[in-house]
Amino acid sequence: MSDAAPWWSVLAAPALLVALALLAVAADGVLSARAAGRPFALSAVARPLLEVPRLLVAQPRRLPAPDMPLWRIGVVTVPVAAVLSVMVVPFGPFAVSGLSVGLVWFNAMEVLTWAGLWLAGWGPNAAFSLVGGYRYLAQGLAYELPLMFALMTPGIGAQSLRVGDIAAAQGGLWFAVWMPVAFAVHLWSVLAFGFTGPFAYPAGGDIAGGVFGETSGPERLLLSAGRWLWLAAGSAMAVPLFLGGGAGPWLPGWAWSLVKTVAVLALLVWARGRLPMIRADRYMEVAWVVLLPLSVLQALVPALVVL
Amino acid sequence: MEVALFWVLAVAALAGGALVFRVASMARATFALLAALICVGGELVLLGLPYLGVVVVLMMVMEMVIMVVFMVAYMMNPGGLMPMSMLHNKRGALVISAGVFLALAAGILLVPWPAPAVVLPADTTFQLGESLMGGQMLTMMTLGFVLLSTMVGATALVSRRGRYDRYGDDLDRRPADDPAGGGVGR
Amino acid sequence: MDLTAALLRAAAARPHVLVASMPGGTPVRLALERELRLRDLPVALTPADADILLVAGPACPELEAAVERLWQDMPAPRRRAHAEDPREVGRAVANARAGLARRESAESAGAHERAGGEAPRGRHSGGGGHGGGGDDMDSPAGLPMAGQGPDRDGLTLDRLHVSLGPFLPDWPHGLTVRLTLQGDVVQRAEVAAPPAGGGPAAASFWTQPWARATAGERVQAGEAARRRAAAHLDSLGRFLAVAGWPAAATSARRLRDDLLGGASRESVSPRAARLARRVGGSRTLYWLTRGLGPLSAREAAAAGVAGPAARADGDVPARYRLWLTTVREDVDRLEERDPLDPARHEPPRGPLPTPRTPSEALSPPRTPPAELPAPRTPSAALPAPAAPSVALAAVLPRLLEGAELAAARLIVASLDPDPDETAALTVGTAHE
Repeated sequence: MSDAAPWWSVLAAPALLVALALLAVAADGVLSARAAGRPFALSAVARPLLEVPRLLVAQPRRLPAPDMPLWRIGVVTVPVAAVLSVMVVPFGPFAVSGLSVGLVWFNAMEVLTWAGLWLAGWGPNAAFSLVGGYRYLAQGLAYELPLMFALMTPGIGAQSLRVGDIAAAQGGLWFAVWMPVAFAVHLWSVLAFGFTGPFAYPAGGDIAGGVFGETSGPERLLLSAGRWLWLAAGSAMAVPLFLGGGAGPWLPGWAWSLVKTVAVLALLVWARGRLPMIRADRYMEVAWVVLLPLSVLQALVPALVVL
Repeated sequence: MEVALFWVLAVAALAGGALVFRVASMARATFALLAALICVGGELVLLGLPYLGVVVVLMMVMEMVIMVVFMVAYMMNPGGLMPMSMLHNKRGALVISAGVFLALAAGILLVPWPAPAVVLPADTTFQLGESLMGGQMLTMMTLGFVLLSTMVGATALVSRRGRYDRYGDDLDRRPADDPAGGGVGR
Repeated sequence: MDLTAALLRAAAARPHVLVASMPGGTPVRLALERELRLRDLPVALTPADADILLVAGPACPELEAAVERLWQDMPAPRRRAHAEDPREVGRAVANARAGLARRESAESAGAHERAGGEAPRGRHSGGGGHGGGGDDMDSPAGLPMAGQGPDRDGLTLDRLHVSLGPFLPDWPHGLTVRLTLQGDVVQRAEVAAPPAGGGPAAASFWTQPWARATAGERVQAGEAARRRAAAHLDSLGRFLAVAGWPAAATSARRLRDDLLGGASRESVSPRAARLARRVGGSRTLYWLTRGLGPLSAREAAAAGVAGPAARADGDVPARYRLWLTTVREDVDRLEERDPLDPARHEPPRGPLPTPRTPSEALSPPRTPPAELPAPRTPSAALPAPAAPSVALAAVLPRLLEGAELAAARLIVASLDPDPDETAALTVGTAHE
């Protein structure tokens, strides 16, 4: 199903991901303009993008004894891992890389954010930043295992770890229909590894922005870009795993992939504002006592059906 | 191309490993080790074992990030703001490491290597799964259970608060008496 | 080829504003928050993210140093402005934005940064960059190193001294709580003496109708109800922001601004009901906050706390739900024309101390001499009757100890002492 993509797809995939992230930022701008009671104006779409020049002109600050190399590595890791993760996601019939273990690749890139955010919290040598970095680890330990089973479930259903094969295996029925728990856990975890909305715990307002607290200028730009890029990457991954990939009537495959990705992204952007921030001290028990057994049972369903 | 990449990763892995003992900061030491292990994962991918390679990266990132928590918690001077050395018992360590290196190197040279396959298998992941879950099924299952019970047992042994502390002498106190309440309300 | 100028102009189109509210600055802060919301200028959470530092309210000498630290921590290009009066807010913001767009803002501020950078930074102590300052001894690296001590779970862990306040986002500005943290668990909390008001200390903005009624003026019950509903919505806005629910916090703040702008009962009542349903009925918020900071009515009475925090007789959810109920009741009473009876309808944070003469309610009972560096010892606190916020601040140490940092913020936000009340009375508090 997934053809070898032309060489320029290596550039096109990140560009598309950035475009999707910008779309999410714009949608969020419109939602928050409405919530704040500002009269609707087209500028609400573009105004959040003024962050880019604002952060580009900001000059570096001086901090007492920061760990600059680790801080920079951490800040860069988050967006770079997001971009690398979509290399295995097929867009219609094309994927940049038809890696045979694409599913594991996506998971490994997502786990790189653990390291990235911890480093981003450690680097500036400030208490609230550090608390933010540690908070992401606690959150990671809570969301990661249910997510691993949720990713594994479509893999078991399709008997392949290649993302293109998984999309192709849903000829008759989308996996979202008969693996609803895995689908829900995946969407829920996208918010978690995008550290946004109810999972903004590492960047919480109660610790003055946490991992964002001491960042300014281009570093802040990269870290916030990572946040939105992960949201877009997670949405893009949900499409081949659970929503049949590029399959659909009338339109070509890439168009269906795009439509479905935008729909998932819109759902996630909307869901961001619906819940208060979930603290890991409360969520940990729910994740391990409720979500993990549910995900294991869900993984058992395709195992029994297919094998 | 692949040979060049192999050497680049090999040198980077060794350099990362050496760096672990050169830096003062626990955070830097841990992430130098992580960089070395990621390079090892890359080598595995180059050797035609993409599953093992990517899983090594996945697992090592999680492990090192958890390890850094303990490194920072238990070592004095985790931030490396004051000079310290990670080298202890230098002579003994040197003897042991030289011995281990020689034994491993001898093993590489002395063990009869299988003849290279004429046709490379299409999917090494499948092969790996078959060999682990086919002939070695019993070993893997036993190992898995031993590991799990070790972890559960170790946690239970070090935990200062047992169920009688949490639920009272008759185990009937609900919710449990915890310093911080959990999310399920047990 | 003037890319820099174009970038600076674009950056000045949507600067992030760091607000530092001074004692007695509540009306200015409210006007400012409304202005920022309507003009889509985000509120910065830390100096690192701020382009404009806006000081709201009468200048306060005691907080000067903390404001200066915020300013030093901001990256160039940056501007600072000061609005002493709610009417000045629009102009102050506009001037600061115009200044940001000019090229000198980047350069001159850069020079300032260099000058500031040479000052010893050991007092920064990393407490989120928010005017913290530990009491540790400096180490060779110029930074305080952590000492060790036994923790809640019987381990020996590093102790970190972090100050919450006087300036933090969604925090009662001026209040300073010194924490001893192990991990993110509070081992010890101490409330610092509040800063004295810098300006002519009148009653807090939120208790004005009651103060006027006590002074003998005729105040309509509806006016007091409007003020109390707005006060609770202001507290709710802070609480919801700390709870990480910005959308709900914005709803509460919009409702507050509309109430203070004189909106009618018909327009406000359904929105208050919707907010009460959404927030009060949220199982998630209840699940996240239940069991935090329990304060029984008996303990509250013993600590001198009256008002909603005592009547809630419970944990954090009990307190925010009581606020929501009170807001709904007050919104229904907006049109009442009877004179305010302070005995029946108490001020937002509980009954005010009864002054001996009517004029005492409007002027601080004890103003420290201006030339002395604020000699506020516990004994100085005794003659003046305690304002409700003083008692609220006094119960904080006991509730915060053993709580995690996030829980500690939620507990403070759910009690929400009003620093203006303490500043107006210039009552010192000391604990332990």
